Amino acid sequence: MIDTYYSTGQLDSPRAFFVALAIGLAFGFVLERAGFGSSRRLAGIFYFRDMTVLRVMFTAVITAMLGLLLFTGMGWIELGSVYAMPTIFGAQVVGGLLFGVGFVMGGWCPGTAAVGAVSGKLDAVAFLGGAIVGSILFNETFPWLGWLMDWGYQEEPLFAFGMPRAVFGLLFTLVAVAAFYFAEWVESLSGGGAYLRSSLLKGLAAALVVAAAALLVLPGDEGAGAVVGGRASEQALLASIDEGADHIEPEDLADRIIAGEPGLVVVDVRPADEYAAFHIRGAINAALSDLPQVLAERKNQGQIVLYSSGMTHPAQARDALARLGYENVWLLTDGLRGFVDRCLTPVSLRSEPLPPEAAARVRRWQAYFTQQQAGARSAASAGAAAREAAETAPAVVSTEWLAERLESASVRILDVRQQPVFSSGHIPGSVRVDPESLRGVVGGVSSMLLPAEMLAEHLGLMGIEPGDTVVLVSGDALRDATLVGMALARVGHRNWSILEGGFARWAAENRPLETALRRLQRHDYHFDPAADWFTVDADQVADALKDSQAVVIDTRPEEYFLGVKSDEARPGHIPGAVNRPYTADLAEDGQFRPIDQLAAEYARLIPAKDTPVIVHCRTGHQASQTWYLLARRLGYENVRWYDGSWTDWAARPDKPVATGKT
Amino acid sequence: MNESIAETRESQGGDRAASPYWNPYLAGVLLGLTLLASLLTLGAGLGASGGLARIGAEVESWFAPVHVAASGYFGPWGENPLSYYLVYMLAGVFLGGLVSAIFARRIEPQIERGKAATARRRLALAAAGGVLAGYAARVAGGCTSGQALSGGAMLLTGSLIFMGCVFAGGFAAAYFVRRQWHD
Repeated sequence: MIDTYYSTGQLDSPRAFFVALAIGLAFGFVLERAGFGSSRRLAGIFYFRDMTVLRVMFTAVITAMLGLLLFTGMGWIELGSVYAMPTIFGAQVVGGLLFGVGFVMGGWCPGTAAVGAVSGKLDAVAFLGGAIVGSILFNETFPWLGWLMDWGYQEEPLFAFGMPRAVFGLLFTLVAVAAFYFAEWVESLSGGGAYLRSSLLKGLAAALVVAAAALLVLPGDEGAGAVVGGRASEQALLASIDEGADHIEPEDLADRIIAGEPGLVVVDVRPADEYAAFHIRGAINAALSDLPQVLAERKNQGQIVLYSSGMTHPAQARDALARLGYENVWLLTDGLRGFVDRCLTPVSLRSEPLPPEAAARVRRWQAYFTQQQAGARSAASAGAAAREAAETAPAVVSTEWLAERLESASVRILDVRQQPVFSSGHIPGSVRVDPESLRGVVGGVSSMLLPAEMLAEHLGLMGIEPGDTVVLVSGDALRDATLVGMALARVGHRNWSILEGGFARWAAENRPLETALRRLQRHDYHFDPAADWFTVDADQVADALKDSQAVVIDTRPEEYFLGVKSDEARPGHIPGAVNRPYTADLAEDGQFRPIDQLAAEYARLIPAKDTPVIVHCRTGHQASQTWYLLARRLGYENVRWYDGSWTDWAARPDKPVATGKT
Repeated sequence: MNESIAETRESQGGDRAASPYWNPYLAGVLLGLTLLASLLTLGAGLGASGGLARIGAEVESWFAPVHVAASGYFGPWGENPLSYYLVYMLAGVFLGGLVSAIFARRIEPQIERGKAATARRRLALAAAGGVLAGYAARVAGGCTSGQALSGGAMLLTGSLIFMGCVFAGGFAAAYFVRRQWHD
């Protein structure tokens, strides 16, 4: 039995890449020799002038088809070991018609254009450029194409219009032979058709028809070979279904995602637009047909959890993966619906009262899983979670945005600059907050962000209510604003943004200022005690470092990281941490450098958006800037903050320290 | 056959005539065997548009990495869209075509068109056709190689329908773009 790179999940391995390169070489060579490096010749078929395309294509399809029928019929390979593209009638009809128009207009198709381009055909280069642009256009319009990509979608790929493949194969061969004679006859009308009476065509036609007929005697698709290989694992699969051992409960999954469990991969198998509207935080999106490729590296390593809206699709996918040898695939009980109902329904909306511990757990899940999907369109299926998330303010607002809302009672401006500069002029209606007033000695460690109840007291004094949109205005230190942002995040304040360009830009644009101090009404700020899922202590950092996936980022200046300079208990850094000074993210004006550049730089540092990341510095202050950048601006989903930072780590004799570059 | 490039070149009195093309039926059998080898080793058919789309994802992410990472189609391809077997296969097609064209002495910079058509018109049609074909290949999940040839050989119903629709679309539009080939 032949195993393919696809069936063993190794299509993304260097060896498969090498084989693909070699096959591409042969493919390109044959295309060129067939004369497909010429657009005039390719387009010829559409004017019944040059039928080469028909001859070559149909001979190739029939040859490969008969070969595959032979291999599957003899049981040398399972049909399931070859990737079958999904059947989507609507997309394939519309795509086919459009493709045909593009083909005759351009005179090329993608593979032949590659051969044409290296033969010096400039029109082929234009076609290739166009095809790349067309692919990008598809990506840009993809959110609106859901109807087309689902139109006539079949759960399983369909073969041979429902006929036994070998029977259809014989009919197809007869049609192809008839087409060859038709092509020769058409060309003979204009003096071509060189092979009309040739013995070569007679011999080929006879050989193909005889071979196709002979293949009818082999066992069909349900033949012995296809089943025997899978029988033992099928039995194991049935046993595990019986025991319910293949299910994971939503509550269990939620806790494990928040804990950043290494090796856990959650896969959303719904269509991409539904995924974009709402998904379980940290989940990746993959179409059912792409699962073997997407999950290749996770085969029998760690735990794969599949979910969809309900249970049917993931169950089918799990069965298919089990046949491919995956033994580590679990299903989310009751799917996404169950997850939203059981984990994300607010405590106040539940029919039964919850004990305080359970309620706190629910609030923690809500805080974690409904955060950061800002901008997500709320879809009916996404439920309350997505609707709440859609109300989140953007991470950064412009001076225009703020100027238009100066009169709004629900937009509150917090200015983090020093008192003298604040008093000599500030944005109308702003309130000063000293970032240091939000920190203190907690648990014996200096410069810790105060507990949520004390922060809530502060916010209440400033007259802020949980529903307000808070805009933070920085002076020359962006990190002062982001530290106040950490405080807002800790109490579960949903809407907070940073003013782009800070006070300097507002002043430079000659926007209104005032010196009067507004009288504020004190409120009771009702905070969410479970909102802070992101602050970690030294032990959690140590645990994360055992996970080879996690990235710990030390944002201090390099000389402190190396241990050349020190003003703490011990010099050096946490073993395994990487150094990315917070200043590297800033331009000369103290604001962030272009966000696209930063995204590219962090993409090299952090493998994926859901990679567990922990940021720290000396006291947690500088790291708050990196936390904000990663979590709010760059879309990293699992960024945590070691508040105690080096002050705490260095003073713990049980924690290891490294110096130098390692 | 009287319009083939080989003969055009001979009539132009090129230094040395290009090798003739292979017999199309022989070429077809060899192409079929290449396809069969791909199905039996990789477990996937031939493909060209998939590689081009990967290049598209790479190019777009030079300009808007955050946007691409967040987009619905390119996004799931990850940080390195070029690390994909079809990209390597496409590289092979370029290389194989080049080797063949060198040995056949068929490399000649030109814009292939009818004598009555302007170069600009031909290039515009080629580029527009490329955009359309590139887009359509993403809709259908493959092009002539991936859907028609490979899916056809596997007898996938959807691919056979795609193949029929390509010819239907091509024949329907042929009349309107015929003048680019008029001599």
